[in-house]
Amino acid sequence: MQSDNIIEEVLREIEKQESVLSRREAMKLLALSPLAAGVLGSASTTTSAKAASNAKGKIVIVGGGLAGVATAAKLTHNLSDPDITIIEPNPKSVSYQPGQTLIAAGVWQKSDITYETEKFIPDGVKWIQDSVIGFNPDANKVSLKNGTEISYDYLIVATGLMLNFGAINGLEGEITSSGENSIVKKKIGKDGVYSIYFADGAVDTYKGIQELIAKAKAHKGSEKLQAIFTDPDTAIKCGGAPKKIMYITHDLLSKAGVRDKVELTFCPSGDKMFGVPEYHEAILEQFKVRDFKWEYKTNLVGIDTEKKVATFEKKWLEKGEYDQDLEEYTMVVKSQNVEKKYDFIHITPPQKASDIVGKSPLGSSKGWMPVVKETLQHVKYKNVFGIGDIAALPMGKTGGSARKQYGVVVDNLIAVMEKKEKLPAAYDGYTVCPLITSLGTIMMAEFNWTAKPTPSFPLDPTQERWIWWLLKVYALKPMTIYGMLSGRA
Amino acid sequence: MKKINVVGSLIVALVVLSGCDSKPKEEVKSYKYTTDVVYKETCLHCHGAKGEGVAEKKSPAINKLSIQELEMALFDIKNGGLGQSTASEHEVMEHNMKKLSEKGYDYDIKAMATYIFNTFHPSK
Repeated sequence: MQSDNIIEEVLREIEKQESVLSRREAMKLLALSPLAAGVLGSASTTTSAKAASNAKGKIVIVGGGLAGVATAAKLTHNLSDPDITIIEPNPKSVSYQPGQTLIAAGVWQKSDITYETEKFIPDGVKWIQDSVIGFNPDANKVSLKNGTEISYDYLIVATGLMLNFGAINGLEGEITSSGENSIVKKKIGKDGVYSIYFADGAVDTYKGIQELIAKAKAHKGSEKLQAIFTDPDTAIKCGGAPKKIMYITHDLLSKAGVRDKVELTFCPSGDKMFGVPEYHEAILEQFKVRDFKWEYKTNLVGIDTEKKVATFEKKWLEKGEYDQDLEEYTMVVKSQNVEKKYDFIHITPPQKASDIVGKSPLGSSKGWMPVVKETLQHVKYKNVFGIGDIAALPMGKTGGSARKQYGVVVDNLIAVMEKKEKLPAAYDGYTVCPLITSLGTIMMAEFNWTAKPTPSFPLDPTQERWIWWLLKVYALKPMTIYGMLSGRA
Repeated sequence: MKKINVVGSLIVALVVLSGCDSKPKEEVKSYKYTTDVVYKETCLHCHGAKGEGVAEKKSPAINKLSIQELEMALFDIKNGGLGQSTASEHEVMEHNMKKLSEKGYDYDIKAMATYIFNTFHPSK
C-alpha cells in the first residue's frame, strides 16, 4: 500500500519534468523491473514483522513536523492499544524543508513542499491544534496557550528549532521554517538580503537571484558585484545549505552568462567546509573549480540593510606565553569586527531551541534538550524522549537524522513502557546531506559521529553525481512524505 | 537511452535507501593510556586535581557537569565543532587537544566523560 503511494509520487514528480520522460514510459520501465518491485514491496513489510506491544500509557508528542508525525505513526504500528496525542498549532506543520533549496533554484514551487498536517495525522492519533507554553515534567504535564493542561505518562519532544534572525544586529524576529514570519520579512526577502531557511524566504531568494542577474547584466566597470553567503556560530539545520545556495547562485549566474560580473564569497563562522575531512577536501576542490572565495572564522553579527553593509566578527588565535605543563605555547583568542559591502547576501540565521523548551526543566544552559545521544532518552526524566532539531546531539539537524532517530525513539519508549531495564535501540549519529553542487549534480554526503563518510552505496561519496540529483528531485520527497511519515521507511 | 538511464538510476537509488541498510564496520580504536593516566598527566595541570579548574590558567571547572554535558563538550573539542561545519566553542582547548593527541594522550569521548563524572562530580 505505502509503496504504491511512493511509486505514485515518484511518477508524479517525473511527470512534472516532461522533457525527461513521460509518465507512461516511466511506469513501463518501473513495471519491467523486478528489482524495483522487490524493493518497493519490501519497504512496506519490514516494520510489520514485529509483534505489536501490549504496553499501555498516554503518550503526548509535542510538535507535528516530520519527526513528531513519523514517531506517532510508527507507535501506532508497534502498540496494540495506542493512546497518542500530538500537540501542534500549525495546520501546515508538515513541510518538506529539504526542498527549500530547490525552490530557490527555481526547480520547485512552495506548493511542492507544503502539506496539510491533518492528512498526515495517523489514524487513531488525537491532534490538539494549540501551542504548548509550558513544560512541567515533575508533574508529567504540559500547559497550553488556551489555558488547559494536558497530562501524560510519556512525552516526546519534537518541537524543532527557532530561526533566530533577531540575534543579528539590524534584524528582528525568531521564527520557524513554516508559519508566521512577517517580522523577519520586514528586512529579509528584498533589497539584496535573502534566506532560504524559511519557505517564504526561499521563494524570495529565487527572485533575489533573478534581480542579481539583471543587475549583473547592466553592470559596467571592472569592480565586481559582491555576493556573500553566511554560516553562523550556532548549530544549524542542514549544515550543507549555506553552501548549496552558493552553488545554486553560481549556476544560475553562469547560465545567464554573467558569472564573471559577480564575486561569490563564503563567510562561515567555522574554520572548515565540513566536519568530515573527506567532504571538506571535496568541497574545497569544488570551490576552487568555481572560483569561489572564502574567509573562515568570519561570523555575521550585524547588517545595515539601508547602506548594504554587513558587519562580521573575525576571530583568530594568537600565540601567548609558553606553558610549562602543556609544553606548548598557550593560545589567546583575538577578534575584530570588519565591514563588507554587498549587492546580494544570503543569511543563514543563528538557530536556537525555543525558550519554552530551553528554559523549562527539560532544557539546558544551551537550550537544546539534553538526551543520552544514543538512546535519545532525556538525561533526567526517563519518561521523556527527544527527537529532531530540538535534541542536543552533535552534528545532525536534518530530516535524514530524524529518519534514523524515530525508530530508535519508538523502540526505546516501548521498552520503557514495558518496564524493561535496558533500552534496545541506539542512534549512531547518522546524517545525510545531499549537497547540491549545480542544477543537475549532488554530492551525497553521508556520515555519522565517527566523522567518517558512511555511504549507503559503494560509490565514491566525494564525487558529484547526476544520479543523486535524480534521487533528490524525484524520489527523496515521496519517500519522506509517504514512507517516513507513515512510520514505515 | 537517456530515459532508461533516468529510471534505472532511480531504481538503484531506491534500493540504496529502502533496502540495504548495511552498517559500515565500526573501527575499534585502541588508546595508549587509560583515561585516568591521561587526566592525571595532562588535564590535571589546568583543570585541577578535583576538576575544580585553575583560575590562573583560565581553565574552567569541569566537576559540576553532567555526563551528557561533558560528552558534548569533549565531542566539540575533539571534532572541532558540534555542527557539520560550525567552529568549536572551545577554540583554545581544541588547539591544546590536538597537541595532546600528537603526544599520545587521546581518549574515547564517552569513557573520558564517564571518568570525569564518576571521579569528580559531587553526587558521586
